[in-house]
Amino acid sequence: MKATSDAKIPLPNRLGIKGWAWAGRYKIERYLYTLHRITGVGLAAYIFIHLIANGFRLGGEDTWEGIMSAFSNPGIKVGEYLVMAAFIIHALNGGRLILQHMGLTLGKPNPPIYPYVDSMRRRRPLTWIMLAVIAALAIYVLVEFVISGA
Amino acid sequence: MRETHFKSLQYLTGIGIFFLVGLHLLISHLSSGEPEAWSSVAKRAASAGWLTIYILILIFGIYHVMHGVRGIVLEFSLPPTAVKALNWAIIFIGVAIFGYAVYIPINAYMV
Amino acid sequence: MEKLTFKVQRYDPDKDKKPSMQVFTIPFRHGMTVLDGLIYIKENIDNTLSFRSSCRMGICGSCGMLINQLPMLACHTPIEELHSDKIEVKSLPNFPIIKDLVADLSPLFEKHKSIKPYIMTAAVAEEIEKPTAEFLQSQEHLEGFVQFAYCVKCGLCMAACPTVATDKHFLGPQPLAQACRYSLDKRDDGAKERFKQTDIPHGVWLCHLAGACSEACPKGVDPALAIQLLKRAMVADGFKLSKKKASPTVAAPLSEKKPKITVPEFTIKKPGAK
Repeated sequence: MKATSDAKIPLPNRLGIKGWAWAGRYKIERYLYTLHRITGVGLAAYIFIHLIANGFRLGGEDTWEGIMSAFSNPGIKVGEYLVMAAFIIHALNGGRLILQHMGLTLGKPNPPIYPYVDSMRRRRPLTWIMLAVIAALAIYVLVEFVISGA
Repeated sequence: MRETHFKSLQYLTGIGIFFLVGLHLLISHLSSGEPEAWSSVAKRAASAGWLTIYILILIFGIYHVMHGVRGIVLEFSLPPTAVKALNWAIIFIGVAIFGYAVYIPINAYMV
Repeated sequence: MEKLTFKVQRYDPDKDKKPSMQVFTIPFRHGMTVLDGLIYIKENIDNTLSFRSSCRMGICGSCGMLINQLPMLACHTPIEELHSDKIEVKSLPNFPIIKDLVADLSPLFEKHKSIKPYIMTAAVAEEIEKPTAEFLQSQEHLEGFVQFAYCVKCGLCMAACPTVATDKHFLGPQPLAQACRYSLDKRDDGAKERFKQTDIPHGVWLCHLAGACSEACPKGVDPALAIQLLKRAMVADGFKLSKKKASPTVAAPLSEKKPKITVPEFTIKKPGAK
Protein backbone atom coordinates (compact mmCIF):
# COMPACT_ATOMS: atom_id res chain seq x y z
CA MET A 1 0.00 0.00 0.00
CA LYS A 2 1.41 3.38 -1.03
CA ALA A 3 2.21 5.89 1.69
CA THR A 4 0.18 9.10 1.74
CA SER A 5 3.26 11.14 0.79
CA ASP A 6 3.48 9.21 -2.54
CA ALA A 7 -0.10 10.18 -3.52
CA LYS A 8 -0.20 12.19 -6.74
CA ILE A 9 -1.85 15.60 -6.76
CA PRO A 10 -5.00 15.41 -8.90
CA LEU A 11 -4.63 17.12 -12.28
CA PRO A 12 -6.43 20.50 -12.47
CA ASN A 13 -9.28 20.33 -14.96
CA ARG A 14 -11.01 23.71 -14.87
CA LEU A 15 -12.54 24.72 -18.22
CA GLY A 16 -11.45 28.37 -17.90
CA ILE A 17 -12.63 31.06 -20.32
CA LYS A 18 -13.82 28.42 -22.78
CA GLY A 19 -16.15 27.18 -20.03
CA TRP A 20 -18.03 30.45 -19.76
CA ALA A 21 -17.74 31.68 -23.34
CA TRP A 22 -18.70 28.47 -25.18
CA ALA A 23 -22.30 27.53 -24.48
CA GLY A 24 -22.11 24.32 -26.50
CA ARG A 25 -25.17 22.10 -26.23
CA TYR A 26 -26.83 24.06 -23.42
CA LYS A 27 -30.04 26.00 -23.92
CA ILE A 28 -30.84 29.63 -24.79
CA GLU A 29 -30.33 31.09 -21.30
CA ARG A 30 -26.70 29.89 -21.33
CA TYR A 31 -26.17 31.70 -24.65
CA LEU A 32 -27.89 34.82 -23.32
CA TYR A 33 -25.45 34.73 -20.37
CA THR A 34 -22.48 34.96 -22.76
CA LEU A 35 -24.25 37.55 -24.94
CA HIS A 36 -25.05 39.70 -21.87
CA ARG A 37 -21.39 39.71 -20.89
CA ILE A 38 -20.11 40.47 -24.40
CA THR A 39 -22.60 43.33 -24.86
CA GLY A 40 -21.75 44.66 -21.39
CA VAL A 41 -18.01 44.73 -22.08
CA GLY A 42 -18.66 46.21 -25.54
CA LEU A 43 -20.85 48.96 -24.11
CA ALA A 44 -18.29 49.71 -21.39
CA ALA A 45 -15.57 50.10 -24.03
CA TYR A 46 -17.86 52.30 -26.15
CA ILE A 47 -18.73 54.53 -23.20
CA PHE A 48 -15.06 55.38 -22.61
CA ILE A 49 -14.61 56.28 -26.29
CA HIS A 50 -17.88 58.26 -26.20
CA LEU A 51 -16.75 60.28 -23.17
CA ILE A 52 -13.44 61.09 -24.85
CA ALA A 53 -15.23 62.10 -28.09
CA ASN A 54 -17.62 64.32 -26.11
CA GLY A 55 -14.62 66.09 -24.62
CA PHE A 56 -14.04 67.67 -28.04
CA ARG A 57 -17.16 69.73 -27.39
CA LEU A 58 -15.04 71.98 -25.23
CA GLY A 59 -12.98 72.94 -28.33
CA GLY A 60 -15.89 74.83 -29.85
CA GLU A 61 -17.97 74.50 -33.01
CA ASP A 62 -15.12 73.98 -35.49
CA THR A 63 -13.51 71.18 -33.44
CA TRP A 64 -16.88 69.51 -32.91
CA GLU A 65 -17.89 69.63 -36.58
CA GLY A 66 -14.45 68.27 -37.54
CA ILE A 67 -14.87 65.30 -35.20
CA MET A 68 -18.45 64.66 -36.41
CA SER A 69 -17.36 64.64 -40.06
CA ALA A 70 -14.53 62.22 -39.18
CA PHE A 71 -17.19 59.94 -37.61
CA SER A 72 -19.42 60.09 -40.66
CA ASN A 73 -17.90 57.15 -42.51
CA PRO A 74 -19.96 53.94 -43.03
CA GLY A 75 -17.68 51.85 -40.78
CA ILE A 76 -18.42 54.11 -37.81
CA LYS A 77 -22.15 54.05 -38.63
CA VAL A 78 -22.12 50.23 -38.53
CA GLY A 79 -20.29 50.41 -35.20
CA GLU A 80 -22.88 52.86 -33.86
CA TYR A 81 -25.68 50.51 -34.90
CA LEU A 82 -23.96 47.62 -33.15
CA VAL A 83 -23.72 49.75 -30.01
CA MET A 84 -27.45 50.49 -30.22
CA ALA A 85 -28.21 46.79 -30.73
CA ALA A 86 -25.92 45.89 -27.81
CA PHE A 87 -27.77 48.40 -25.62
CA ILE A 88 -31.16 46.92 -26.58
CA ILE A 89 -29.98 43.36 -25.89
CA HIS A 90 -28.23 44.24 -22.61
CA ALA A 91 -31.12 46.37 -21.35
CA LEU A 92 -33.96 43.95 -22.09
CA ASN A 93 -32.02 40.86 -21.03
CA GLY A 94 -30.96 42.78 -17.92
CA GLY A 95 -34.62 43.46 -17.17
CA ARG A 96 -35.34 39.74 -17.46
CA LEU A 97 -32.38 38.98 -15.17
CA ILE A 98 -33.50 41.50 -12.53
CA LEU A 99 -36.98 39.92 -12.41
CA GLN A 100 -35.63 36.37 -12.35
CA HIS A 101 -32.87 37.09 -9.82
CA MET A 102 -35.57 38.22 -7.44
CA GLY A 103 -37.42 34.95 -8.14
CA LEU A 104 -40.37 36.92 -9.51
CA THR A 105 -41.07 35.17 -12.78
CA LEU A 106 -39.62 31.73 -12.07
CA GLY A 107 -42.60 30.19 -10.31
CA LYS A 108 -42.63 28.18 -7.09
CA PRO A 109 -40.57 25.11 -6.18
CA ASN A 110 -42.27 21.87 -7.30
CA PRO A 111 -41.53 18.47 -5.79
CA PRO A 112 -39.67 16.83 -8.72
CA ILE A 113 -41.82 14.36 -10.62
CA TYR A 114 -40.21 12.70 -13.66
CA PRO A 115 -39.87 13.94 -16.43
CA TYR A 116 -38.35 16.92 -14.61
CA VAL A 117 -39.10 20.40 -15.93
CA ASP A 118 -36.91 23.10 -14.40
CA SER A 119 -38.00 26.71 -13.94
CA MET A 120 -35.86 27.88 -16.90
CA ARG A 121 -37.74 25.55 -19.22
CA ARG A 122 -41.14 26.47 -17.75
CA ARG A 123 -40.45 30.15 -18.34
CA ARG A 124 -38.81 29.74 -21.75
CA PRO A 125 -41.84 31.22 -23.61
CA LEU A 126 -41.22 34.51 -21.75
CA THR A 127 -37.56 34.41 -22.82
CA TRP A 128 -38.61 33.89 -26.45
CA ILE A 129 -41.04 36.82 -26.19
CA MET A 130 -38.22 39.00 -24.84
CA LEU A 131 -36.01 37.90 -27.77
CA ALA A 132 -38.81 38.77 -30.20
CA VAL A 133 -39.06 42.26 -28.67
CA ILE A 134 -35.26 42.64 -28.95
CA ALA A 135 -35.40 41.59 -32.62
CA ALA A 136 -38.26 44.01 -33.35
CA LEU A 137 -36.45 46.93 -31.71
CA ALA A 138 -33.18 46.06 -33.46
CA ILE A 139 -34.95 46.03 -36.83
CA TYR A 140 -36.68 49.36 -36.04
CA VAL A 141 -33.35 50.98 -35.11
CA LEU A 142 -31.75 49.53 -38.27
CA VAL A 143 -34.50 51.08 -40.40
CA GLU A 144 -33.97 54.44 -38.64
CA PHE A 145 -30.23 54.25 -39.30
CA VAL A 146 -30.73 53.38 -42.95
CA ILE A 147 -33.28 56.17 -43.43
CA SER A 148 -31.14 58.80 -41.67
CA GLY A 149 -28.01 57.57 -43.47
CA ALA A 150 -29.68 57.59 -46.91
CA MET B 1 -24.77 42.23 3.65
CA ARG B 2 -22.40 44.42 1.67
CA GLU B 3 -22.36 42.45 -1.55
CA THR B 4 -26.16 42.31 -1.48
CA HIS B 5 -26.32 46.10 -1.21
CA PHE B 6 -23.79 46.53 -4.05
CA LYS B 7 -25.80 44.18 -6.29
CA SER B 8 -29.10 45.85 -5.41
CA LEU B 9 -27.57 49.17 -6.49
CA GLN B 10 -26.48 47.45 -9.71
CA TYR B 11 -30.12 46.51 -10.38
CA LEU B 12 -31.40 50.00 -9.54
CA THR B 13 -28.78 51.76 -11.66
CA GLY B 14 -29.56 49.32 -14.48
CA ILE B 15 -33.21 50.34 -14.42
CA GLY B 16 -32.22 54.01 -14.22
CA ILE B 17 -29.84 53.66 -17.17
CA PHE B 18 -32.56 51.95 -19.22
CA PHE B 19 -34.80 55.00 -18.96
CA LEU B 20 -32.18 57.77 -18.99
CA VAL B 21 -29.95 56.38 -21.74
CA GLY B 22 -33.03 55.33 -23.69
CA LEU B 23 -34.17 58.96 -23.59
CA HIS B 24 -30.65 60.13 -24.49
CA LEU B 25 -30.53 57.75 -27.48
CA LEU B 26 -33.95 58.82 -28.72
CA ILE B 27 -33.29 62.55 -28.47
CA SER B 28 -29.56 62.78 -29.18
CA HIS B 29 -29.10 60.10 -31.81
CA LEU B 30 -32.31 58.83 -33.31
CA SER B 31 -34.54 61.87 -33.61
CA SER B 32 -34.88 63.86 -36.84
CA GLY B 33 -33.37 67.33 -37.30
CA GLU B 34 -29.63 66.64 -37.03
CA PRO B 35 -29.33 66.04 -33.30
CA GLU B 36 -25.53 65.74 -33.58
CA ALA B 37 -25.06 69.11 -35.25
CA TRP B 38 -23.40 71.90 -33.20
CA SER B 39 -26.62 73.91 -32.90
CA SER B 40 -28.53 71.01 -31.30
CA VAL B 41 -25.57 70.08 -29.09
CA ALA B 42 -25.17 73.68 -27.90
CA LYS B 43 -28.91 73.95 -27.20
CA ARG B 44 -28.87 70.84 -25.02
CA ALA B 45 -25.67 71.97 -23.30
CA ALA B 46 -27.42 75.15 -22.13
CA SER B 47 -30.36 73.24 -20.62
CA ALA B 48 -30.37 72.58 -16.86
CA GLY B 49 -32.65 69.58 -17.42
CA TRP B 50 -30.22 67.94 -19.80
CA LEU B 51 -27.30 68.73 -17.45
CA THR B 52 -29.15 66.87 -14.68
CA ILE B 53 -29.83 63.93 -16.99
CA TYR B 54 -26.18 63.75 -18.10
CA ILE B 55 -24.90 63.83 -14.51
CA LEU B 56 -27.37 61.10 -13.48
CA ILE B 57 -26.40 58.98 -16.50
CA LEU B 58 -22.75 59.37 -15.51
CA ILE B 59 -23.36 58.40 -11.86
CA PHE B 60 -25.57 55.40 -12.70
CA GLY B 61 -23.54 54.35 -15.72
CA ILE B 62 -20.12 54.51 -14.12
CA TYR B 63 -21.33 52.60 -11.03
CA HIS B 64 -23.00 49.96 -13.22
CA VAL B 65 -19.96 49.54 -15.48
CA MET B 66 -17.40 49.44 -12.66
CA HIS B 67 -19.44 46.95 -10.63
CA GLY B 68 -19.79 44.78 -13.74
CA VAL B 69 -16.06 44.94 -14.41
CA ARG B 70 -15.41 44.09 -10.74
CA GLY B 71 -17.56 40.96 -11.11
CA ILE B 72 -15.67 39.87 -14.23
CA VAL B 73 -12.28 40.40 -12.55
CA LEU B 74 -13.45 38.46 -9.44
CA GLU B 75 -14.41 35.56 -11.67
CA PHE B 76 -10.82 35.07 -12.78
CA SER B 77 -10.15 33.32 -9.45
CA LEU B 78 -9.02 36.53 -7.78
CA PRO B 79 -7.81 35.46 -4.32
CA PRO B 80 -10.03 36.70 -1.46
CA THR B 81 -7.02 38.58 -0.05
CA ALA B 82 -6.82 40.75 -3.19
CA VAL B 83 -10.50 41.77 -3.15
CA LYS B 84 -9.88 44.85 -1.01
CA ALA B 85 -7.21 46.10 -3.44
CA LEU B 86 -9.59 45.45 -6.35
CA ASN B 87 -12.36 47.41 -4.60
CA TRP B 88 -10.09 50.43 -4.09
CA ALA B 89 -8.82 50.24 -7.68
CA ILE B 90 -12.41 50.16 -8.97
CA ILE B 91 -13.40 53.13 -6.78
CA PHE B 92 -10.33 55.12 -7.86
CA ILE B 93 -10.85 54.46 -11.57
CA GLY B 94 -14.60 55.13 -11.32
CA VAL B 95 -14.14 58.44 -9.51
CA ALA B 96 -11.40 59.49 -11.97
CA ILE B 97 -13.62 58.77 -14.98
CA PHE B 98 -16.56 60.53 -13.34
CA GLY B 99 -14.40 63.53 -12.52
CA TYR B 100 -13.24 63.85 -16.14
CA ALA B 101 -16.65 63.13 -17.67
CA VAL B 102 -18.76 65.41 -15.47
CA TYR B 103 -16.44 68.36 -16.18
CA ILE B 104 -17.58 68.43 -19.83
CA PRO B 105 -21.34 69.06 -19.44
CA ILE B 106 -20.81 71.37 -16.43
CA ASN B 107 -18.27 73.42 -18.36
CA ALA B 108 -20.52 73.53 -21.43
CA TYR B 109 -23.44 74.67 -19.25
CA MET B 110 -21.42 77.41 -17.55
CA VAL B 111 -20.16 78.88 -20.86
CA MET C 1 -26.90 0.14 -34.47
CA GLU C 2 -24.77 -2.93 -33.79
CA LYS C 3 -21.48 -1.46 -32.62
CA LEU C 4 -20.68 1.53 -30.48
CA THR C 5 -17.50 3.60 -30.57
CA PHE C 6 -16.52 4.77 -27.10
CA LYS C 7 -13.89 7.52 -27.02
CA VAL C 8 -12.82 7.51 -23.37
CA GLN C 9 -10.50 9.87 -21.53
CA ARG C 10 -7.42 8.14 -20.10
CA TYR C 11 -5.03 9.63 -17.59
CA ASP C 12 -2.54 7.70 -15.51
CA PRO C 13 -0.97 10.03 -12.93
CA ASP C 14 2.14 7.80 -12.76
CA LYS C 15 2.82 7.94 -16.49
CA ASP C 16 0.93 10.79 -18.19
CA LYS C 17 1.41 14.53 -18.03
CA LYS C 18 -2.03 15.23 -19.51
CA PRO C 19 -5.15 13.22 -20.41
CA SER C 20 -5.53 11.53 -23.79
CA MET C 21 -8.43 9.79 -25.52
CA GLN C 22 -8.62 6.05 -26.22
CA VAL C 23 -11.12 4.48 -28.63
CA PHE C 24 -12.96 1.25 -27.88
CA THR C 25 -15.54 -0.57 -30.03
CA ILE C 26 -18.17 -2.54 -28.14
CA PRO C 27 -21.36 -4.36 -29.11
CA PHE C 28 -24.64 -2.51 -28.67
CA ARG C 29 -27.44 -4.01 -26.61
CA HIS C 30 -30.93 -2.51 -26.51
CA GLY C 31 -31.48 -0.66 -23.23
CA MET C 32 -27.82 -0.34 -22.30
CA THR C 33 -26.53 2.77 -20.56
CA VAL C 34 -23.16 4.51 -20.84
CA LEU C 35 -22.18 2.84 -17.55
CA ASP C 36 -22.96 -0.58 -19.04
CA GLY C 37 -20.60 0.29 -21.90
CA LEU C 38 -17.82 1.30 -19.50
CA ILE C 39 -18.29 -1.86 -17.43
CA TYR C 40 -18.12 -3.94 -20.65
CA ILE C 41 -14.84 -2.22 -21.57
CA LYS C 42 -13.43 -2.84 -18.09
CA GLU C 43 -14.50 -6.49 -18.01
CA ASN C 44 -13.64 -7.50 -21.58
CA ILE C 45 -11.15 -5.11 -23.15
CA ASP C 46 -9.12 -3.04 -20.72
CA ASN C 47 -9.37 -3.72 -17.02
CA THR C 48 -7.18 -0.72 -16.15
CA LEU C 49 -10.00 1.71 -17.01
CA SER C 50 -10.97 3.54 -13.80
CA PHE C 51 -14.33 5.10 -13.08
CA ARG C 52 -16.69 5.52 -10.13
CA SER C 53 -20.07 3.87 -9.96
CA SER C 54 -22.21 2.39 -7.24
CA CYS C 55 -25.99 2.18 -7.30
CA ARG C 56 -26.31 2.09 -11.14
CA MET C 57 -29.82 3.56 -10.72
CA GLY C 58 -29.25 7.33 -10.54
CA ILE C 59 -29.50 7.85 -6.78
CA CYS C 60 -25.95 7.82 -5.40
CA GLY C 61 -24.44 10.42 -7.74
CA SER C 62 -21.09 8.60 -8.08
CA CYS C 63 -20.90 8.20 -11.87
CA GLY C 64 -21.00 11.85 -12.98
CA MET C 65 -19.07 12.27 -16.26
CA LEU C 66 -18.95 14.51 -19.32
CA ILE C 67 -20.79 12.49 -21.96
CA ASN C 68 -20.94 13.99 -25.48
CA GLN C 69 -20.06 17.43 -24.01
CA LEU C 70 -22.83 17.46 -21.40
CA PRO C 71 -22.41 16.44 -17.75
CA MET C 72 -24.57 13.40 -17.04
CA LEU C 73 -24.78 10.38 -14.76
CA ALA C 74 -23.41 7.44 -16.77
CA CYS C 75 -25.90 5.01 -15.22
CA HIS C 76 -28.81 7.32 -15.98
CA THR C 77 -27.93 7.87 -19.67
CA PRO C 78 -29.33 5.26 -22.07
CA ILE C 79 -27.22 5.01 -25.24
CA GLU C 80 -30.35 5.33 -27.38
CA GLU C 81 -31.10 8.76 -25.88
CA LEU C 82 -27.75 10.04 -27.17
CA HIS C 83 -28.92 9.36 -30.77
CA SER C 84 -25.40 8.48 -31.84
CA ASP C 85 -23.16 5.43 -31.99
CA LYS C 86 -20.14 7.58 -31.11
CA ILE C 87 -19.92 8.26 -27.40
CA GLU C 88 -17.27 10.54 -25.95
CA VAL C 89 -16.72 10.16 -22.22
CA LYS C 90 -14.52 12.45 -20.17
CA SER C 91 -14.21 13.10 -16.47
CA LEU C 92 -16.36 15.79 -14.91
CA PRO C 93 -14.97 19.23 -15.83
CA ASN C 94 -14.11 21.85 -13.20
CA PHE C 95 -12.96 19.07 -10.84
CA PRO C 96 -9.35 17.81 -10.68
CA ILE C 97 -8.75 14.40 -12.30
CA ILE C 98 -7.43 11.60 -10.07
CA LYS C 99 -7.26 8.94 -12.78
CA ASP C 100 -9.07 8.29 -16.11
CA LEU C 101 -12.72 9.18 -15.42
CA VAL C 102 -12.38 9.59 -11.64
CA ALA C 103 -12.72 13.22 -10.53
CA ASP C 104 -11.76 14.65 -7.15
CA LEU C 105 -15.02 15.97 -5.69
CA SER C 106 -13.49 17.25 -2.45
CA PRO C 107 -13.78 20.95 -3.53
CA LEU C 108 -17.55 20.39 -3.77
CA PHE C 109 -17.74 18.78 -0.34
CA GLU C 110 -15.62 21.51 1.30
CA LYS C 111 -17.80 24.27 -0.15
CA HIS C 112 -20.94 22.35 0.83
CA LYS C 113 -19.72 22.08 4.42
CA SER C 114 -18.91 25.81 4.49
CA ILE C 115 -22.59 26.81 4.13
CA LYS C 116 -23.59 24.83 7.24
CA PRO C 117 -25.94 22.28 5.63
CA TYR C 118 -27.90 21.34 8.74
CA ILE C 119 -30.85 22.66 10.69
CA MET C 120 -29.75 25.39 13.10
CA THR C 121 -32.23 26.70 15.60
CA ALA C 122 -31.50 28.54 18.81
CA ALA C 123 -35.18 28.87 19.75
CA VAL C 124 -35.57 25.20 20.68
CA ALA C 125 -31.93 24.38 21.43
CA GLU C 126 -32.88 22.07 24.29
CA GLU C 127 -35.13 20.06 21.95
CA ILE C 128 -32.25 19.75 19.46
CA GLU C 129 -29.93 18.43 22.21
CA LYS C 130 -32.48 16.10 23.83
CA PRO C 131 -35.23 15.42 21.31
CA THR C 132 -38.60 14.36 22.63
CA ALA C 133 -40.72 14.44 19.45
CA GLU C 134 -40.67 15.48 15.82
CA PHE C 135 -40.91 19.11 14.63
CA LEU C 136 -44.24 19.93 13.01
CA GLN C 137 -44.26 21.05 9.41
CA SER C 138 -47.26 21.47 7.12
CA GLN C 139 -47.34 20.04 3.60
CA GLU C 140 -47.22 23.59 2.26
CA HIS C 141 -44.08 24.39 4.27
CA LEU C 142 -42.46 21.20 3.00
CA GLU C 143 -43.27 21.94 -0.63
CA GLY C 144 -41.52 25.30 -0.28
CA PHE C 145 -38.12 23.62 -0.17
CA VAL C 146 -38.35 19.83 -0.58
CA GLN C 147 -37.39 19.99 -4.28
CA PHE C 148 -33.95 21.25 -3.24
CA ALA C 149 -33.55 18.44 -0.70
CA TYR C 150 -33.37 15.83 -3.48
CA CYS C 151 -29.75 16.78 -4.21
CA VAL C 152 -27.45 13.74 -4.42
CA LYS C 153 -24.17 15.79 -4.49
CA CYS C 154 -23.18 14.36 -7.87
CA GLY C 155 -21.41 17.58 -8.95
CA LEU C 156 -22.99 17.80 -12.42
CA CYS C 157 -24.24 21.33 -11.72
CA MET C 158 -20.73 22.45 -10.73
CA ALA C 159 -19.40 20.97 -13.99
CA ALA C 160 -22.02 22.86 -16.02
CA CYS C 161 -21.67 26.25 -14.28
CA PRO C 162 -19.78 28.87 -16.35
CA THR C 163 -18.70 30.77 -13.24
CA VAL C 164 -17.22 27.66 -11.61
CA ALA C 165 -15.30 27.17 -14.90
CA THR C 166 -13.23 30.30 -14.28
CA ASP C 167 -13.52 31.00 -10.55
CA LYS C 168 -12.18 28.39 -8.13
CA HIS C 169 -13.36 30.42 -5.13
CA PHE C 170 -17.00 30.63 -6.28
CA LEU C 171 -19.25 28.54 -4.02
CA GLY C 172 -21.12 26.97 -6.92
CA PRO C 173 -24.71 25.92 -7.61
CA GLN C 174 -24.83 22.93 -5.24
CA PRO C 175 -23.73 24.69 -2.01
CA LEU C 176 -25.84 27.75 -2.85
CA ALA C 177 -28.91 25.61 -3.55
CA GLN C 178 -28.39 23.80 -0.25
CA ALA C 179 -27.97 27.11 1.57
CA CYS C 180 -31.40 28.02 0.15
CA ARG C 181 -32.86 24.62 1.11
CA TYR C 182 -31.94 25.09 4.77
CA SER C 183 -32.72 28.80 4.90
CA LEU C 184 -36.25 28.25 3.50
CA ASP C 185 -36.91 25.39 5.92
CA LYS C 186 -39.34 26.70 8.56
CA ARG C 187 -37.61 24.61 11.22
CA ASP C 188 -34.34 26.46 10.62
CA ASP C 189 -33.25 29.69 12.26
CA GLY C 190 -29.74 29.95 10.84
CA ALA C 191 -30.34 31.92 7.62
CA LYS C 192 -28.31 34.91 8.85
CA GLU C 193 -25.38 32.61 9.70
CA ARG C 194 -25.50 31.16 6.21
CA PHE C 195 -25.83 34.58 4.60
CA LYS C 196 -22.40 35.42 6.07
CA GLN C 197 -21.03 32.59 3.88
CA THR C 198 -23.02 33.48 0.75
CA ASP C 199 -22.74 37.28 0.90
CA ILE C 200 -19.03 37.26 0.06
CA PRO C 201 -17.37 38.62 -3.13
CA HIS C 202 -17.16 35.03 -4.50
CA GLY C 203 -20.64 34.20 -3.20
CA VAL C 204 -24.12 34.06 -4.62
CA TRP C 205 -23.89 37.33 -6.56
CA LEU C 206 -21.45 35.87 -9.10
CA CYS C 207 -24.34 33.73 -10.36
CA HIS C 208 -25.74 35.36 -13.50
CA LEU C 209 -28.47 32.83 -14.27
CA ALA C 210 -27.00 30.85 -17.13
CA GLY C 211 -29.36 28.03 -16.11
CA ALA C 212 -26.90 25.30 -17.12
CA CYS C 213 -26.95 23.86 -13.59
CA SER C 214 -30.68 23.15 -13.70
CA GLU C 215 -30.33 21.70 -17.17
CA ALA C 216 -27.60 19.31 -16.01
CA CYS C 217 -29.22 18.24 -12.73
CA PRO C 218 -30.30 14.57 -12.98
CA LYS C 219 -32.68 14.73 -9.99
CA GLY C 220 -34.80 17.75 -10.96
CA VAL C 221 -33.45 19.81 -8.05
CA ASP C 222 -33.44 23.03 -10.15
CA PRO C 223 -30.50 24.71 -8.38
CA ALA C 224 -30.97 27.85 -10.51
CA LEU C 225 -34.38 28.43 -8.91
CA ALA C 226 -32.94 27.79 -5.45
CA ILE C 227 -30.17 30.32 -6.01
CA GLN C 228 -32.60 33.02 -7.17
CA LEU C 229 -34.82 32.36 -4.13
CA LEU C 230 -31.72 32.65 -1.95
CA LYS C 231 -30.93 36.00 -3.58
CA ARG C 232 -34.47 37.16 -2.84
CA ALA C 233 -34.13 36.11 0.79
CA MET C 234 -30.78 37.91 1.05
CA VAL C 235 -32.13 41.14 -0.47
CA ALA C 236 -35.12 41.01 1.89
CA ASP C 237 -32.75 40.47 4.82
CA GLY C 238 -30.30 43.12 3.61
CA PHE C 239 -33.03 45.76 3.49
CA LYS C 240 -34.75 44.49 6.66
CA LEU C 241 -37.86 43.48 4.71
CA SER C 242 -38.01 39.85 5.81
CA LYS C 243 -40.63 38.70 8.29
CA LYS C 244 -39.47 37.08 11.51
CA LYS C 245 -39.88 33.31 11.32
CA ALA C 246 -42.06 31.69 13.95
CA SER C 247 -40.19 29.27 16.22
CA PRO C 248 -40.55 25.65 15.13
CA THR C 249 -43.15 23.74 17.11
CA VAL C 250 -42.72 20.24 18.39
CA ALA C 251 -45.44 17.61 18.06
CA ALA C 252 -47.56 17.31 21.20
CA PRO C 253 -47.20 14.11 23.27
CA LEU C 254 -49.81 11.41 22.61
CA SER C 255 -53.04 12.18 24.45
CA GLU C 256 -53.81 8.58 25.37
CA LYS C 257 -51.57 5.67 26.19
CA LYS C 258 -52.62 2.50 24.40
CA PRO C 259 -51.88 -0.91 25.98
CA LYS C 260 -48.92 -2.79 24.58
CA ILE C 261 -50.07 -5.45 22.09
CA THR C 262 -48.73 -8.90 22.99
CA VAL C 263 -47.31 -10.92 20.12
CA PRO C 264 -49.19 -14.25 19.86
CA GLU C 265 -47.34 -17.59 19.88
CA PHE C 266 -47.10 -19.53 16.60
CA THR C 267 -49.89 -22.11 16.17
CA ILE C 268 -47.71 -24.28 13.94
CA LYS C 269 -45.11 -26.15 15.96
CA LYS C 270 -41.59 -26.72 14.61
CA PRO C 271 -40.89 -30.32 13.43
CA GLY C 272 -39.65 -32.41 16.29
CA ALA C 273 -41.02 -30.03 18.96
CA LYS C 274 -43.32 -31.47 21.62
